[in-house]
Amino acid sequence: MYKVDPPPTAKKLREMYNSAAFVHSHIAHFYALAAPDFVLGPDSDPAKRNILGVVEKVGIPIASEVLKHRAIAQDIQITVGGRSTHPVWTLPGGVSKGITEEQRLEIIDKAKSCVEFSKFSLKLFEDIVLKNKAYLDIILSDTFEMDSYWIGTVDSKNCVNFYHGDHRVVDQKGKEVFRYKDHEYLDFISERVEKYSYLKFPYLKKIGWKGFVDGPESGVYMATPLSRLNAADGMATPLAQQEYEKMYSTLGGKPVKKLLATHWARLIELMYSAERLLELAQDPEVASPNIRTLPTATPEEGVGIVEAMRGILTHHYQTDKNGLVTKANLIVGTTNNNAPISMSIKRAAQKLIQPGKEVGQGLLNMVEMAFRLYDPCFSCATHSLPGEMPLIIDVINADGEVIHREGRTDKRSS
Amino acid sequence: MNTRIIGLGNSILTDDGVGIYAVRELRRCLKEALLDTNVDIVETEVGGFSLMELMTGWKRVILVDSIQFEGLEPGTVIRIQPEDLHTSLRLRSVHDIDLPTVLELGRRLGLAMPGEVSVFGIQAEDALTLGECLTDAAERGLKEAVNLILTEIRDSRFEIRN
Repeated sequence: MYKVDPPPTAKKLREMYNSAAFVHSHIAHFYALAAPDFVLGPDSDPAKRNILGVVEKVGIPIASEVLKHRAIAQDIQITVGGRSTHPVWTLPGGVSKGITEEQRLEIIDKAKSCVEFSKFSLKLFEDIVLKNKAYLDIILSDTFEMDSYWIGTVDSKNCVNFYHGDHRVVDQKGKEVFRYKDHEYLDFISERVEKYSYLKFPYLKKIGWKGFVDGPESGVYMATPLSRLNAADGMATPLAQQEYEKMYSTLGGKPVKKLLATHWARLIELMYSAERLLELAQDPEVASPNIRTLPTATPEEGVGIVEAMRGILTHHYQTDKNGLVTKANLIVGTTNNNAPISMSIKRAAQKLIQPGKEVGQGLLNMVEMAFRLYDPCFSCATHSLPGEMPLIIDVINADGEVIHREGRTDKRSS
Repeated sequence: MNTRIIGLGNSILTDDGVGIYAVRELRRCLKEALLDTNVDIVETEVGGFSLMELMTGWKRVILVDSIQFEGLEPGTVIRIQPEDLHTSLRLRSVHDIDLPTVLELGRRLGLAMPGEVSVFGIQAEDALTLGECLTDAAERGLKEAVNLILTEIRDSRFEIRN
């Protein structure tokens, strides 16, 4: 927009900040939100199926490590960008502050610790989930499955990159069908409006909107950790690459369509983020004072795309000659997944609710797992009383009568 | 200093920001009254784990936030205990943990969690429109909440030094 290219140090610092954000966000999602389903079981007592139950099961030392590394990642963000949430540090042409050599060395130590913690997390996933046949069967079942297109940002070698690169779309067989640069996004992505929702439904423009269906004729795409791995040929860091290969060999090749594998993909991304953080911190150039190129041109229009934790993030702005924004369009991570989320919940409910099978809390939670795997950023849309997950299962008979209703009853006893 | 007052919300989402605006007003009132209190005031947009970190090490914490309770008139101020609270605009998210869990988790991990936590909730009228001004109703609620908290601050428990 400002027709200026930030100096290498500024780009590296921005990527460090984004990598640290991935580390703390993926840790929080896996341990606080995904782990209860696997550590305690999808049909365990809802009162205990939460992070407190996980702490009880895995022990306080492990839980302390979880919090420690989440905090470490946020500390790195504060060191680099001043704040861990809503930073005001990025400027046209660069950033407002750099880091010192001493801070760089501190970040190296912290990043090393995050790499070790990522190893531990992947081992925990293997021990608790992959070695449990019942859980593996759930992951491999057709209850949590999607035959959509997959999108993610890749570098010049088609490896996953969270900060810059081309945006690549692969089809149901894993073949690249589209590849676009930031400023070309409107040629590839359209947003459908449904009257009942203020959240739009993006889809692949060149394929077209065919409704809430998957398959090659439908433009529905997914933008998640699993999507990013499916859309790439590999990971750019060694340990993440090992885990990438292991996931695809275990789950039968690419693309993986079993959506609960998103949790596994998220941990592989945790490893990549930690390794990338370490790589960047080990580069002495990140402590250079050359952090900004002053813009001199009159701003007009610009598109910026990065990977956010929940999916690809697109910002598009137009300004007047004073640089004041006159038009803005954002497609944020969860918005990309609006249609897939709806379809995943419906599919899980249809597969799980069968004649003669009790519709209870365990089943309700299994349906919620189809929602939760997206780590949806709906925090501003789900806060009305009574404050429970606003998901209700109505079992309707052939006459259209509701014969059973199941909602959340997760009142905690402690 | 052993008490922290935390204003929560999003200051560009109309009434969602009432907790932020309330603690700003509180800070202004305390300064104007030249009250040297034993109170720390912070504004934040975060919840979940980050809130746990903000509360750690304080003996007493007061949270001020917007709420959307069914059947409550906009601008109404209610005082809630965390255990009663499974929601507010900022204290619950589908990708983070809620307030009761924050407190319990901190305690189980041996962190210095506050022994006393209370929440002043101000009923929002409009928490979805982009804007940096409150509705009249939320503005009334803000004043009431600030007065209630000031009254508490004048309580001896806050060890006012003036």
